[in-house]
Amino acid sequence: MKNHDKILNDLVPLKFGKNGVIWIIFLIILIIIGTIAYIDQIIKGQVVTNMRDYALWGIYISNFVFFVATSFVGTVTVAYLRLTDNNWRTPLVRIAEIISFAAIIMAGLTIMIDMGRPDRMLNLFLHGRLQSPITWDVIIVPTYIILSFLLLYYPLLPDFAILEKYFEKKNSFLSKWYGKLAINWEDNKAQNIVQKKSIKIIVVMLIPIGILLQTIDAWLFSTTYRIGWDSTNMGAYFISGAFVAGVGALVTVVYVLRKVRKLEDYITDYHFDKLGKFLGLAILIYLYFNIQEYLLPVFTAPTQEKIHLDALLTGEYALLFWFTLIFGLIIPLFIVLFKKGRKPLPMLVVGLMVVVGSWWKRYVIVTPTLLHPFLPIEGVPESWHHYFPSMHEWLITGATLAMALLIITILVRYLPVIGIQKTINEQDLINTDKNIEL
Amino acid sequence: MKNQLKSRFGILVVFSALLLLFGIQNLCAQDAEKNSIRLRANYVKIMGGEMYFDLKATARVDGENVIVPNIEFLVYNEFNDESVEIGKTTTNAKGVSKFVLKNLNSIKPDSTNTYNILFSFDGNDAFKRISKSVTFKNAEIKTTISTIDSINYITATLLDVSKDSLMGDQSLTVQVQRIFRPLFIGEEFNVTDEDGTVIVPLDEGIPGVGGNLTVEVVLNESEVYGTVKAIVIAPVGTPFVDESTFDQRKMWSPRNKTPLFLLIFPNIIIFTMWGLIIYLFYNLFKIFNLKSKIKKHENI
Repeated sequence: MKNHDKILNDLVPLKFGKNGVIWIIFLIILIIIGTIAYIDQIIKGQVVTNMRDYALWGIYISNFVFFVATSFVGTVTVAYLRLTDNNWRTPLVRIAEIISFAAIIMAGLTIMIDMGRPDRMLNLFLHGRLQSPITWDVIIVPTYIILSFLLLYYPLLPDFAILEKYFEKKNSFLSKWYGKLAINWEDNKAQNIVQKKSIKIIVVMLIPIGILLQTIDAWLFSTTYRIGWDSTNMGAYFISGAFVAGVGALVTVVYVLRKVRKLEDYITDYHFDKLGKFLGLAILIYLYFNIQEYLLPVFTAPTQEKIHLDALLTGEYALLFWFTLIFGLIIPLFIVLFKKGRKPLPMLVVGLMVVVGSWWKRYVIVTPTLLHPFLPIEGVPESWHHYFPSMHEWLITGATLAMALLIITILVRYLPVIGIQKTINEQDLINTDKNIEL
Repeated sequence: MKNQLKSRFGILVVFSALLLLFGIQNLCAQDAEKNSIRLRANYVKIMGGEMYFDLKATARVDGENVIVPNIEFLVYNEFNDESVEIGKTTTNAKGVSKFVLKNLNSIKPDSTNTYNILFSFDGNDAFKRISKSVTFKNAEIKTTISTIDSINYITATLLDVSKDSLMGDQSLTVQVQRIFRPLFIGEEFNVTDEDGTVIVPLDEGIPGVGGNLTVEVVLNESEVYGTVKAIVIAPVGTPFVDESTFDQRKMWSPRNKTPLFLLIFPNIIIFTMWGLIIYLFYNLFKIFNLKSKIKKHENI
């Protein structure tokens, strides 16, 4: 049984220790290096990348798709679990909201990096057509950013009010800021009604908008008539892939925060068990769509598609393809099928495997298709027949990933990673139930 | 003292020699780096239309043929040992330039009624100077469309204007304008007879907008007359229905021709989503104010 003070002391945001500072410095160094590479890319143009006439989308786009997919965690864990009344979500939702918010912000930034010159963004508004999925993407990404922010902010209101009081004597500066962010929250009935109603609206909105986001992301590819992308399966394939990537990222971050913030009393083996089952379900669905996407064309593929499939299954991209499938999906699935596999440490391994697999999976989706056009590649240098990211691309991409982690780290530093008020309320409810039983 | 002077003189000589050598090397290097431009110039006359010169500048640089953009040529009309500048023309990014003559009266022929036009480039840091002369005599093609026994014919007569004589034994090309490349009709070589005339039947069933065919009769790159082209619109084609969707609201249309369903439904979704988002921000404002009211109430 935890009393209110203990809950408060356990869950309030804490200053970083030595390891935390080293971690932040490491991320900032990565970001600075990536920013220098990006400035150089702006000065010299995208010739510094290895993208050419055929591989015109490379690591930036696959990284963008990865971020978009990861941001789906807000939809699946917060919205679905809330609407289906799964109470085990409580200590996990805040972390999911933070990941979702950081990932979708970085998705927006990454797409601007791919444009080469950031001022080209303006062209999308000046010349964008509603017929183009790119325009839909320009609309849906900011919408999801705003919604993710609201999803994070609304449930934080009671916690901000608690933190304002908590830091009143300890840190007046922080207390002042928490007070401003609490926007006069005093937990009265009227405020609670408005807050609960708003959260309900957000979670209901989040499901169609989250699905729209993933679907539009898929349509960016499938509306271009290209081998490997020209599929009616693509929307569902991307949604299920995002389900896996999002929950994989959640498992990893949850484990790390649990360890660093010593939250073992709040995020228990029970939660990892549930997350493991949840991830297992996600992987099974995604595997089903993978079979749809790759196995059926093996039977029906015309010549050009066969060349593409051969490159994936046995050719140039076979290693990556099977890596993403076996390392990123099948092995994690086998692990989470067993109860012991759903313990915290194995789940961390599973989470990492899924995240790494998910990142490379997007690379496998984007690049090989571009290198297998309907008309044969002719009259270009041999190097244009292949694509592997240049150093600039790696550094910039590394910086975007570091930036996402930095946003998560900063939010974790100043926000309670588990809802304080919610935890107190649930604890009170448990105590009341116990008292009634007695 | 003498020795000192000698040594200073010696140093000066060596230094000057080095400077000179360095300067000569640089000069030689500049010369060595200069490339020669290859200029192709053709005279084209469109009957009833414009007269112009097509120029294309290329060069062989580092073993590769490259186009040469931004080269300004001065254009001279040469006649009877005189040379009169008649204009300038500069190659574009594709190394191509078109110099239009206002009319033939603006230039003068020599004593043999031959027009001499000189294109001259003075050279720059990268390319050597070059000039290219184009000579031509004035020729005309007259065309008529006729129908004999339900077969349509195009009759073309080639005329040397300077001599006012008909030109026999010249090969003319007869073609119909199409989008990608012209459709050749008639024999492979339509050679003019002693009256300077060719008669070519126009095949039935050639499609044209409104049944009109744009038929061209061309004297192609003649050494004496250049290229002379007569264009005639003949209503002898098979009309076809224009299936272009250019003016319709389609998925591939520009933004001002977006299909209505794509204007209506996405905008309904967008306005609903953003309406709710604005409402959610309004609710934050409401939460902020709810405290204030209670405080005020307590104060009262």
